[in-house]
Amino acid sequence: MVYITSWDEFVERSAQLFRADPDSTRYVMKYRHCDGKLVLKVTDDKECLKFKTDQAQDAKKMEKLNNIFFTLMSRGPDGKEQTEAQSGKKGRGRKQ
Amino acid sequence: MVLLQPDPFLNELTSMFEHSTEKGTVWVTLKRSSLKSKVQRNKMAAAGEPLEYRCLIRATNGKKTISTSVGPKDHQRFQASYATILKAHMTSLKKRERKDKKKVAGADKKEGGSKKPKRA
Repeated sequence: MVYITSWDEFVERSAQLFRADPDSTRYVMKYRHCDGKLVLKVTDDKECLKFKTDQAQDAKKMEKLNNIFFTLMSRGPDGKEQTEAQSGKKGRGRKQ
Repeated sequence: MVLLQPDPFLNELTSMFEHSTEKGTVWVTLKRSSLKSKVQRNKMAAAGEPLEYRCLIRATNGKKTISTSVGPKDHQRFQASYATILKAHMTSLKKRERKDKKKVAGADKKEGGSKKPKRA
Protein backbone atom coordinates (compact mmCIF):
# COMPACT_ATOMS: atom_id res chain seq x y z
CA MET A 1 0.00 0.00 0.00
CA VAL A 2 1.47 3.27 -1.01
CA TYR A 3 0.71 6.02 1.47
CA ILE A 4 1.33 9.41 -0.01
CA THR A 5 2.33 12.18 2.34
CA SER A 6 1.66 15.18 0.17
CA TRP A 7 -1.95 15.99 -0.59
CA ASP A 8 -1.17 17.68 -3.87
CA GLU A 9 0.81 14.73 -5.07
CA PHE A 10 -2.02 12.42 -4.15
CA VAL A 11 -4.51 14.50 -6.13
CA GLU A 12 -2.30 14.76 -9.17
CA ARG A 13 -1.46 11.10 -9.28
CA SER A 14 -5.06 10.07 -8.73
CA ALA A 15 -6.22 12.23 -11.60
CA GLN A 16 -3.53 10.75 -13.83
CA LEU A 17 -4.53 7.25 -12.85
CA PHE A 18 -8.13 7.99 -13.64
CA ARG A 19 -7.42 9.57 -16.99
CA ALA A 20 -5.25 6.64 -17.98
CA ASP A 21 -7.93 4.06 -17.23
CA PRO A 22 -11.32 5.53 -16.35
CA ASP A 23 -13.14 2.24 -16.47
CA SER A 24 -11.21 0.44 -13.80
CA THR A 25 -10.19 3.28 -11.51
CA ARG A 26 -12.14 3.67 -8.30
CA TYR A 27 -11.97 6.01 -5.35
CA VAL A 28 -12.63 4.67 -1.87
CA MET A 29 -13.07 6.63 1.32
CA LYS A 30 -13.02 5.11 4.79
CA TYR A 31 -14.03 7.07 7.83
CA ARG A 32 -13.84 5.98 11.46
CA HIS A 33 -15.44 8.40 13.84
CA CYS A 34 -14.33 6.54 16.96
CA ASP A 35 -10.67 6.78 15.91
CA GLY A 36 -11.03 10.11 14.20
CA LYS A 37 -9.33 8.84 11.05
CA LEU A 38 -9.97 9.27 7.37
CA VAL A 39 -8.29 7.17 4.68
CA LEU A 40 -8.61 7.73 0.95
CA LYS A 41 -7.62 5.20 -1.68
CA VAL A 42 -7.48 5.46 -5.46
CA THR A 43 -6.70 2.34 -7.42
CA ASP A 44 -6.97 0.95 -10.90
CA ASP A 45 -6.30 -2.56 -9.65
CA LYS A 46 -2.72 -2.34 -10.86
CA GLU A 47 -1.50 0.57 -8.84
CA CYS A 48 -2.80 1.86 -5.53
CA LEU A 49 -2.49 5.28 -3.95
CA LYS A 50 -3.55 5.99 -0.40
CA PHE A 51 -3.76 8.99 1.83
CA LYS A 52 -4.56 8.97 5.52
CA THR A 53 -5.26 11.79 7.86
CA ASP A 54 -6.78 12.85 11.12
CA GLN A 55 -6.95 16.56 10.30
CA ALA A 56 -10.16 18.45 9.77
CA GLN A 57 -8.59 20.65 7.13
CA ASP A 58 -7.92 17.57 4.99
CA ALA A 59 -11.63 16.82 5.03
CA LYS A 60 -12.18 20.12 3.25
CA LYS A 61 -9.53 19.27 0.69
CA MET A 62 -11.14 15.89 0.24
CA GLU A 63 -14.43 17.56 -0.62
CA LYS A 64 -12.75 19.35 -3.49
CA LEU A 65 -11.29 16.05 -4.62
CA ASN A 66 -14.75 14.52 -4.43
CA ASN A 67 -16.01 17.22 -6.76
CA ILE A 68 -13.24 16.51 -9.20
CA PHE A 69 -14.01 12.80 -9.23
CA PHE A 70 -17.75 13.25 -9.51
CA THR A 71 -17.27 15.48 -12.51
CA LEU A 72 -14.75 13.19 -14.16
CA MET A 73 -16.87 10.14 -13.62
CA SER A 74 -20.25 11.35 -14.68
CA ARG A 75 -18.90 12.73 -17.87
CA GLY A 76 -17.59 10.55 -20.62
CA PRO A 77 -13.99 9.42 -21.01
CA ASP A 78 -11.57 12.27 -21.71
CA GLY A 79 -13.79 14.52 -19.68
CA LYS A 80 -16.00 15.39 -22.59
CA GLU A 81 -19.36 16.79 -21.69
CA GLN A 82 -22.22 14.65 -22.78
CA THR A 83 -25.64 15.72 -21.76
CA GLU A 84 -24.77 18.92 -20.02
CA ALA A 85 -27.15 21.59 -21.22
CA GLN A 86 -25.38 24.61 -22.52
CA SER A 87 -26.86 27.96 -21.69
CA GLY A 88 -28.60 28.86 -24.90
CA LYS A 89 -26.43 30.84 -27.16
CA LYS A 90 -28.33 29.86 -30.20
CA GLY A 91 -29.88 32.46 -32.40
CA ARG A 92 -28.94 35.83 -31.03
CA GLY A 93 -25.34 36.39 -30.25
CA ARG A 94 -24.80 39.62 -28.43
CA LYS A 95 -27.41 41.70 -26.79
CA GLN A 96 -28.17 44.76 -28.72
CA MET B 1 -26.82 -4.77 -2.20
CA VAL B 2 -29.53 -2.20 -2.27
CA LEU B 3 -29.71 0.13 -5.26
CA LEU B 4 -31.48 3.34 -4.37
CA GLN B 5 -32.34 6.66 -5.93
CA PRO B 6 -29.89 9.44 -5.05
CA ASP B 7 -32.09 11.08 -2.41
CA PRO B 8 -32.96 7.99 -0.36
CA PHE B 9 -29.32 7.00 -0.68
CA LEU B 10 -28.29 10.27 0.95
CA ASN B 11 -30.75 9.69 3.77
CA GLU B 12 -29.47 6.19 4.38
CA LEU B 13 -25.89 7.43 4.26
CA THR B 14 -26.68 10.01 6.91
CA SER B 15 -28.14 7.41 9.21
CA MET B 16 -25.10 5.18 8.63
CA PHE B 17 -22.81 7.95 9.77
CA GLU B 18 -24.99 8.59 12.78
CA HIS B 19 -25.02 4.96 13.80
CA SER B 20 -21.30 4.48 13.55
CA THR B 21 -20.14 7.31 15.76
CA GLU B 22 -19.25 5.20 18.78
CA LYS B 23 -17.90 2.23 16.95
CA GLY B 24 -17.59 1.24 13.34
CA THR B 25 -16.52 2.52 9.97
CA VAL B 26 -18.19 4.01 6.96
CA TRP B 27 -16.76 3.20 3.52
CA VAL B 28 -17.80 5.14 0.44
CA THR B 29 -16.67 4.09 -3.03
CA LEU B 30 -16.95 6.06 -6.23
CA LYS B 31 -16.53 4.51 -9.62
CA ARG B 32 -17.46 5.34 -13.14
CA SER B 33 -19.72 2.89 -14.84
CA SER B 34 -22.07 2.89 -17.74
CA LEU B 35 -24.17 0.24 -16.04
CA LYS B 36 -24.37 -1.86 -19.16
CA SER B 37 -22.82 -5.20 -19.84
CA LYS B 38 -19.88 -5.47 -22.16
CA VAL B 39 -22.01 -6.98 -24.91
CA GLN B 40 -24.44 -4.11 -24.83
CA ARG B 41 -21.61 -1.62 -24.81
CA ASN B 42 -20.03 -3.16 -27.88
CA LYS B 43 -23.35 -3.08 -29.66
CA MET B 44 -23.87 0.53 -28.80
CA ALA B 45 -20.40 1.47 -29.93
CA ALA B 46 -20.93 -0.34 -33.19
CA ALA B 47 -24.25 1.39 -33.75
CA GLY B 48 -22.60 4.75 -33.16
CA GLU B 49 -24.73 5.63 -30.15
CA PRO B 50 -22.98 7.71 -27.52
CA LEU B 51 -22.50 5.81 -24.29
CA GLU B 52 -23.96 7.40 -21.25
CA TYR B 53 -21.67 7.24 -18.26
CA ARG B 54 -22.84 7.36 -14.73
CA CYS B 55 -21.08 7.59 -11.44
CA LEU B 56 -21.70 4.60 -9.20
CA ILE B 57 -21.56 5.35 -5.52
CA ARG B 58 -21.53 2.63 -2.90
CA ALA B 59 -21.58 2.98 0.87
CA THR B 60 -21.27 0.39 3.57
CA ASN B 61 -20.88 0.18 7.30
CA GLY B 62 -19.52 -3.34 7.14
CA LYS B 63 -22.93 -4.89 7.55
CA LYS B 64 -25.23 -3.14 5.17
CA THR B 65 -24.40 -1.88 1.70
CA ILE B 66 -26.32 0.72 -0.23
CA SER B 67 -25.64 2.14 -3.62
CA THR B 68 -26.83 4.65 -6.13
CA SER B 69 -26.00 5.80 -9.59
CA VAL B 70 -25.67 9.46 -10.49
CA GLY B 71 -25.73 10.86 -13.99
CA PRO B 72 -24.22 14.09 -15.29
CA LYS B 73 -27.46 16.01 -14.83
CA ASP B 74 -27.95 15.24 -11.15
CA HIS B 75 -24.32 15.02 -10.18
CA GLN B 76 -23.95 18.62 -9.12
CA ARG B 77 -26.93 18.52 -6.82
CA PHE B 78 -25.86 15.18 -5.39
CA GLN B 79 -22.33 16.40 -4.90
CA ALA B 80 -23.51 19.41 -2.91
CA SER B 81 -25.70 17.29 -0.62
CA TYR B 82 -22.98 14.70 -0.22
CA ALA B 83 -20.45 17.37 0.75
CA THR B 84 -22.86 18.73 3.34
CA ILE B 85 -23.34 15.30 4.89
CA LEU B 86 -19.62 14.69 5.10
CA LYS B 87 -18.94 18.07 6.62
CA ALA B 88 -21.64 17.54 9.19
CA HIS B 89 -20.35 14.16 10.28
CA MET B 90 -16.60 14.31 10.13
CA THR B 91 -16.39 16.07 13.41
CA SER B 92 -13.90 13.84 15.16
CA LEU B 93 -10.97 14.95 13.02
CA LYS B 94 -8.49 17.19 14.74
CA LYS B 95 -8.52 20.87 14.14
CA ARG B 96 -5.19 22.50 13.52
CA GLU B 97 -4.01 24.72 16.32
CA ARG B 98 -1.40 26.94 14.80
CA LYS B 99 -1.78 29.75 17.25
CA ASP B 100 -1.17 27.47 20.17
CA LYS B 101 1.68 28.61 22.30
CA LYS B 102 2.16 25.23 23.87
CA LYS B 103 5.51 23.74 23.30
CA VAL B 104 5.24 21.24 20.54
CA ALA B 105 7.14 18.09 21.41
CA GLY B 106 9.43 16.97 18.66
CA ALA B 107 7.56 13.71 18.34
CA ASP B 108 4.63 15.43 16.62
CA LYS B 109 4.25 14.75 12.93
CA LYS B 110 5.14 17.59 10.65
CA GLU B 111 2.04 19.46 9.63
CA GLY B 112 3.52 20.34 6.29
CA GLY B 113 2.69 24.01 6.63
CA SER B 114 5.07 26.63 5.49
CA LYS B 115 4.42 29.12 8.22
CA LYS B 116 7.35 30.25 10.30
CA PRO B 117 7.33 28.95 13.85
CA LYS B 118 6.74 31.55 16.50
CA ARG B 119 9.57 32.19 18.87
CA ALA B 120 8.86 32.51 22.55
